[in-house]
Amino acid sequence: MVRKKIRKKEIVVGLVWTIAVMFFLTFYIWNQIESIRVGYKIGELEENLQSLKKDVEKLETEKSSLLALERVEKIAKEKLKLEKPKKEQIIYDNFRPEP
Amino acid sequence: MSSLYQKKVKKRTVILAFFSLIWLSGIIFRLIQLQVIDHPRLKAEVIEQNRSINTISPKRGTIYDRNGNILARSIPTQSVYYVSFNNEPFDYQFQKIQKLKGLLKLSEKDLKIIKRRIEKNASFIWLKRKIDSKKAEKVENLHLSGIHLTEENKRFYPQGTQAAQILGRVNIDDDGASGIEYKYNAQLAGKKGKRLILRDAKLREYHFETLERPEPGNDLTLTIDETIQYIAEKELERAILKRKAKWGTVIICEPSTGEILALANYPFFDLNNPPPDPLKIDRIQGIHHIVDPGSTFKIIIAAAAMESKSISLDEDFDCSKGAINIAGKTFRDYRRFGILSFPEVIIHSSNVGAIQIGQRLGEKTLFKTIKAFGFGQKTGIDLPVEVKGIVRPVKNWTQISLASLSIGYEISVTAIQMLQVINIIANRGVVTPPKIVKKILTSSFDQKKEPLSYKRVISEITASNLSLILERVVEKGTGKAAQIKGYKIAGKTGTAQKFIPSTGTYSSSNHTASFVGFVMAEKPVFSMIVVIDDPQGQYYGSQVAAPVFRKIAAQVLQYLRIPPQEDSLKTIIAAKPLRLMDQ
Repeated sequence: MVRKKIRKKEIVVGLVWTIAVMFFLTFYIWNQIESIRVGYKIGELEENLQSLKKDVEKLETEKSSLLALERVEKIAKEKLKLEKPKKEQIIYDNFRPEP
Repeated sequence: MSSLYQKKVKKRTVILAFFSLIWLSGIIFRLIQLQVIDHPRLKAEVIEQNRSINTISPKRGTIYDRNGNILARSIPTQSVYYVSFNNEPFDYQFQKIQKLKGLLKLSEKDLKIIKRRIEKNASFIWLKRKIDSKKAEKVENLHLSGIHLTEENKRFYPQGTQAAQILGRVNIDDDGASGIEYKYNAQLAGKKGKRLILRDAKLREYHFETLERPEPGNDLTLTIDETIQYIAEKELERAILKRKAKWGTVIICEPSTGEILALANYPFFDLNNPPPDPLKIDRIQGIHHIVDPGSTFKIIIAAAAMESKSISLDEDFDCSKGAINIAGKTFRDYRRFGILSFPEVIIHSSNVGAIQIGQRLGEKTLFKTIKAFGFGQKTGIDLPVEVKGIVRPVKNWTQISLASLSIGYEISVTAIQMLQVINIIANRGVVTPPKIVKKILTSSFDQKKEPLSYKRVISEITASNLSLILERVVEKGTGKAAQIKGYKIAGKTGTAQKFIPSTGTYSSSNHTASFVGFVMAEKPVFSMIVVIDDPQGQYYGSQVAAPVFRKIAAQVLQYLRIPPQEDSLKTIIAAKPLRLMDQ
């Protein structure tokens, strides 16, 4: 039986192919894993964003509640002892804003 | 081995094979029964037990005032529900519910309903909806099997009682039930979503999947100004309490656009803690309640006279007797006037003079003008169930109808209709339909602006002359109490005896006091109507409603930073804190 002699060039080509295929497969798997990981991260951030949006809305509503005119007037009058300015206390300026 | 033994073995093998075959046939038959014959029914049962599709409520749109202040918003809250276990005895299931009785404040009626639902093997039962976060935490800490919490939205009104009737209420499922919430429910509600829930054999939920995402509702911006609304409500409440009146309304409007800046209705309600009878909230006095307008209706008589050119401005009317008899009925003035010119009849609100003008106009001209001003028709304000009032056709008039109508009786109108009349005069004769929604904030911003086309009701000259007469009403007539130094105000007072439907007559002790007018700067700034129902003690519009107009108008002018006219080139620089002022 005569063993076929493999040329050096063929070995190199085979090796390159093997490395290329392995690299491609590794890259593909890495890409898939990374996509899933990023997907999870996006989902997590999305959830976080929704939660923050809810917090903002809650705070805005709370702010509205705290700035309710009836409440503000009560504090101004009872706690801060503020009074409505008398007519002569109102100063007029010549400046007129753009309509 | 003997052949006898072999025969015995063979016999046993045959018997064993026979019984095995029967056993196997039984299994095969049962398999066919389960997998083929009963398969559709059993599959349906499994699906029924193990999966359910729930509705996901969308977030309802927010309602803002014209300056972007929040008037109504949905906030997340928790609701408690029970998933019943068919394999658990009824008593054991009901015991779990009873543990929550005190915490969730479940009434006997609630418990009865829940009990009935468990007995009927309902898979999903609401226990209490929209509870506060502290209660929700306590429920969670009890770790009762089958008791779950889910997030829902609850409507919250940060301003409390403010503009309650306009905003309206929502029902437990967040659907609009009155006011803006009802009228614009389609826009505010959004689109419901669907969620798939899978359960294991023990009915424990293990998989949630959103099949359809809910679409949030659109936000609305109203024409209402939170501060002006607050001023109007505060002064209205003060007047109602002072006069021990039954109810009252104040509507403030921008005449050039028809945009309602404030619509106050007394009594007030807190939408966050609605009254036991929520239907009370649904009544918007300004558009749902009809009254006889009384002397404010003399504006129509004057407009008809000038527009038809039946009477000239310098014509005089004899009002010296202080009374006039029409078909056996005597109509009186509140005092004797002597000879009054046409404008003076309006300025001093003489009934005798107005009736004479009415007689000169005739039925057809007066009726035509009444219809032209929009009485007996809805103004078209974007609030639900607007009342169109009562205007009887000429053929149903009696001998005294013309005289009665000349002084604002035998006709029923809403406050918004009277405000529309004053807007027509302020707008030099054209009608601007009132509106309360400024814009719908759609996600795609594709809202088209409809071109404004306003209908002319009276000529510009008639409107200008009428405007001047109404200015004199406030300067030296019945509307003096509405005067504000430095500002031009045109308006008309009204006092009407209340109609008692049970007797079919007008009461001599119950009245409706009103004042309708507008404030002029370089152009009409805002118009306002004040209606106080059944005031005790003083009851004339000039005594009861006109001062309310003045108090509100003075504060609104300062809030809008409109200086007195002698300082027309100036503007207020120290007025910002005046949002808090109290007059």
